[in-house]
Amino acid sequence: MEFLKSGIKTVLGGTEPGQQPSAAETVEKLVDRVYSSTLLEDRRDACRALKALSRKYRIEVGAQGMPPLVQVLQNDGQDTEIISYALDTLCNIVTSEEFDEEADNPTVSVNVGGQFTEMFIKTPENVTMVMGYLDEYDFRVRRAAIQLITSLISNKTRELQDLVLVSPMGVSKLMDLLTDSREVIRNDVLLLLIELTKGNSNIQKIVAFENAFDRLFDIIREEGCSDGGIVVEDCLILLLNLLKNNSSNQQFFKEGSYIQRLAPMFVLAEEVEEAGWSPQKMSNFHCLLQVVRALVTPSNQHQVVTACQRVMQKSKLLNALCEILMSSGVPADILTETINAVAEVIRGDRENQHELSRVMAPSNPPRPVIVVLLMSMINEKQLLALRCAVLYCFECYLYRNADVQRTVVQTLLPSSATDVSSLSTGQLLCTGLFSSDALANWFSSVAIMHTLVENVALKEELLRVLLAPTGGQRPNTLLEMCTNLMQRERTRLQSKIGLLMLLSVWLAHCPGAVKALLETQGTTVYLTAQLCSNEHDEREFLFQGMCAFLMGLCIQFNDNSLPNQRREDISQLIIKRIGQETFCNKLGEVSRHEAYSRACKQAQIRAKSAGELLLDYEYCKLYKGLEALIAKLVSGFDVDGIELTELTLSSEASALVSQYKGIIRGMDAQIQTLQQSAKELGQENAELKEKLSAEQSLRAQISDQNTLLKAQLGATGQTPVQSQETSLAREEELNAARYQANMYFAENIRLNKEIEILRQQLATEKQRADASQESLLATQKDQEDLLELLADQELKLASYEHKTTAPKSTENQNQTHAETASEEGIPSETANR
Amino acid sequence: MSYAYLFKYIIIGDTGVGKSCLLLQFTDKRFQPVHDLTIGVEFGARMITIDGKQIKLQIWDTAGQEAFRSITRSYYRGAAGALLVYDITRRETFNHLTTWLEDARQHSNSNMVIMLIGNKSDLDSRREVKKEEGEAFAREHGLVFMETSARTAANVEEAFINTAKEIYEKIQEGVFDINNEANGIKIGQQHSPTNPSLPGSGGAAGAANSGCC
Repeated sequence: MEFLKSGIKTVLGGTEPGQQPSAAETVEKLVDRVYSSTLLEDRRDACRALKALSRKYRIEVGAQGMPPLVQVLQNDGQDTEIISYALDTLCNIVTSEEFDEEADNPTVSVNVGGQFTEMFIKTPENVTMVMGYLDEYDFRVRRAAIQLITSLISNKTRELQDLVLVSPMGVSKLMDLLTDSREVIRNDVLLLLIELTKGNSNIQKIVAFENAFDRLFDIIREEGCSDGGIVVEDCLILLLNLLKNNSSNQQFFKEGSYIQRLAPMFVLAEEVEEAGWSPQKMSNFHCLLQVVRALVTPSNQHQVVTACQRVMQKSKLLNALCEILMSSGVPADILTETINAVAEVIRGDRENQHELSRVMAPSNPPRPVIVVLLMSMINEKQLLALRCAVLYCFECYLYRNADVQRTVVQTLLPSSATDVSSLSTGQLLCTGLFSSDALANWFSSVAIMHTLVENVALKEELLRVLLAPTGGQRPNTLLEMCTNLMQRERTRLQSKIGLLMLLSVWLAHCPGAVKALLETQGTTVYLTAQLCSNEHDEREFLFQGMCAFLMGLCIQFNDNSLPNQRREDISQLIIKRIGQETFCNKLGEVSRHEAYSRACKQAQIRAKSAGELLLDYEYCKLYKGLEALIAKLVSGFDVDGIELTELTLSSEASALVSQYKGIIRGMDAQIQTLQQSAKELGQENAELKEKLSAEQSLRAQISDQNTLLKAQLGATGQTPVQSQETSLAREEELNAARYQANMYFAENIRLNKEIEILRQQLATEKQRADASQESLLATQKDQEDLLELLADQELKLASYEHKTTAPKSTENQNQTHAETASEEGIPSETANR
Repeated sequence: MSYAYLFKYIIIGDTGVGKSCLLLQFTDKRFQPVHDLTIGVEFGARMITIDGKQIKLQIWDTAGQEAFRSITRSYYRGAAGALLVYDITRRETFNHLTTWLEDARQHSNSNMVIMLIGNKSDLDSRREVKKEEGEAFAREHGLVFMETSARTAANVEEAFINTAKEIYEKIQEGVFDINNEANGIKIGQQHSPTNPSLPGSGGAAGAANSGCC
């Protein structure tokens, strides 16, 4: 401390002697320095000082220091030392744990860390920034960042989970840190992940997706499995977080064959029995058992439970659990949890149930483990939790398994009492039922009750059970014994409640048991008296309600075979002695009691104290199903005992109804067959009709052909006899001929017209020919004229020539030439014309 | 049950395109016509055989709704294969493929095999996206394409198995680093190095073998 003070002094540059600065002032100065100092060293020193002060003066540092620390994170990222101081300081401020240094500081309230967390995460970027420092490999920075995030999550789980989810690769980045080779980092990340996965199935799934199961099993193995240290426990707690109420991860766990990796951890080494159990081993083992139960707890998805139960049997996990039950030196706490785990591993799974029934305890003589367990249940000296666990295990052993139920009931029946030497389950249960320990009574009643759940045949069977009385009187039936015990003044309330539950389940849906109960002396009177009494104890109310329920069952499942104890008689009793309203009110008391809501919550029996053990899960289920029916039934009777509503039918009436239903069903079936046959007949009819029409058309065709043939015969003229049909054919032929004649006629007209046109054309052609002939003649005439003229000219020429030949030969020749030319010009003109 | 390899798949795509139905058809061989919104992510698994080897498929079926996008993004990195699904009767689911693909490429490892699936091929009368368009989109972006029907189970097996084949081939070629489990591939105990001549896969498989036994 002295060193610290001197350190601060050097940082602050000393103070005036005699005057100690207050914490707030010191912090203020340091904050100022972090803000304003330009030298990294100064800022670093101030941060270191703030870190030192933050444990003792958390409020002061937190109130003033947060903004500058955030600023450091923003700006000084390259200096790992200052960052680690800043992160450490923030971690001290927001943590929810109380430091020794601040123990005497009255201003520190319980939730100061939570308030600072709220301040810090108001700016979501702050969280993202701290997440960013996870990438920094430096040991101090990474570790401080992990611790800060862990503290933030544990204070504001929901908000931080959302921030991590939206930060890109946030969960994946955290998962990568699990592989950090430095163990301290890995272990801190485990703590972080435990906080992070609390109650957030989305994060749980991502963590599982990022190979968490593999990582965790690797670490558990490295650390020595259940003999390992607290790191193993941390791993198992994280495993539990990932599996609880997360069916997707449960399925992944099963599919990934991780149950097989779980199984060997339950095998106890030989030396454990001598060495004893260390507290850490007990914690580890407890967590291991919790992990098993998280996979098969009845509230899980049914198919997941069934699948996991199968694997647990195949992987010898169930076997190992049974071994633990039988080994010595197992602490009671672990034994209790193991019994609970076995219970849930076998619940409703026939094979697993039978496996448990085969397990023998190494006692002398060897006894079935079930018997040994039941011995503990009825043993007053055993721990309450252990006894509860045994009952739960027994219930799960019987659950949905008629064979096992029958085997247990068999041990109660007289025939099986031959082997006196060995203790049977039935004997133990009877011992418990009639012991002086109220809790043993309660446990045994509930245990017997569970042999009857949903099994009417066994209810009838159990009516046959006779118990030998102590004092040589006539043997009583078990039912009589129970009723008598319930009516006895000395019997404690807890026992009575147990017996009432047993009787109620016994009577439900079993008219034989109702009859047996009503035959027992004084039962109706006793129940009526209870309902009329006006006790004010809360537990009395519960008891009265349960009596009302039992009475209701006596009406509901009454087959009216007892005179004076028929449905109407009991209803009249209620109306006249109790009153319908009061009855219904009392009936409702059961569901109003806190024990009811507690028992309804889960099949497992949990009780902090013996007094809390009142109602059982299966009884509550029965009550839930029938309460409304009984209330309606009772208020449905009028004063004269006539049922007003048809919904409230006695078993006799319902038998009648079902008889009618049967008749109706038979008639219905008959109608159906008739309809079917009618349909078939109709079909047949249609087929026949079709056939008929086909035949008819065939006939018509044939007759047509016939006609045609006849007509052909007629046409050839060889038919001596002219039938009407042939004449008709002739007429037709005639018509055809006529038609053809008409056709020819029309053709004729058309051709005539054509001839006319051609004639006209010919005439015009002739005219044109005549005209051209004329012009030809004229031309020929012209030509002749011209030829004549030419001949004349030639003649003349010859005469002239003759005249001139001798004297003027040369001249004449020339002249001739010229004349020839002129002569030649005339015919060419003529031609031109 | 032992396996040679384990592949992690994710199924992505718009809400209501039938992602969960595809998974249910593949793992349970049944069809559930009622649309049951997936919350966050659901898990399913099945064993298949490729090349005579048992291969376990672990499939994470993601929620298609925008509200869960930040959650589903966390699953890209660790997956070896992705089925990107659209609905052939709703064009907008096809139009959103680019966004999905960008998202996947950005957050996943580069070797992730993406198979494009046009689902509801049984509803051909209400078809809005032609098969050719899907083929073209796949070609353009280097994806494998297939039209399936989760209702009739047509091509559902093929879609999952072909994706696995593609991953398997990539392993044989030594493209995938199988020792890094962050890639969505795990080597089972049953594995024996099949092709020691290949330097990448042979050496890695041998090392892993000695590690897990």
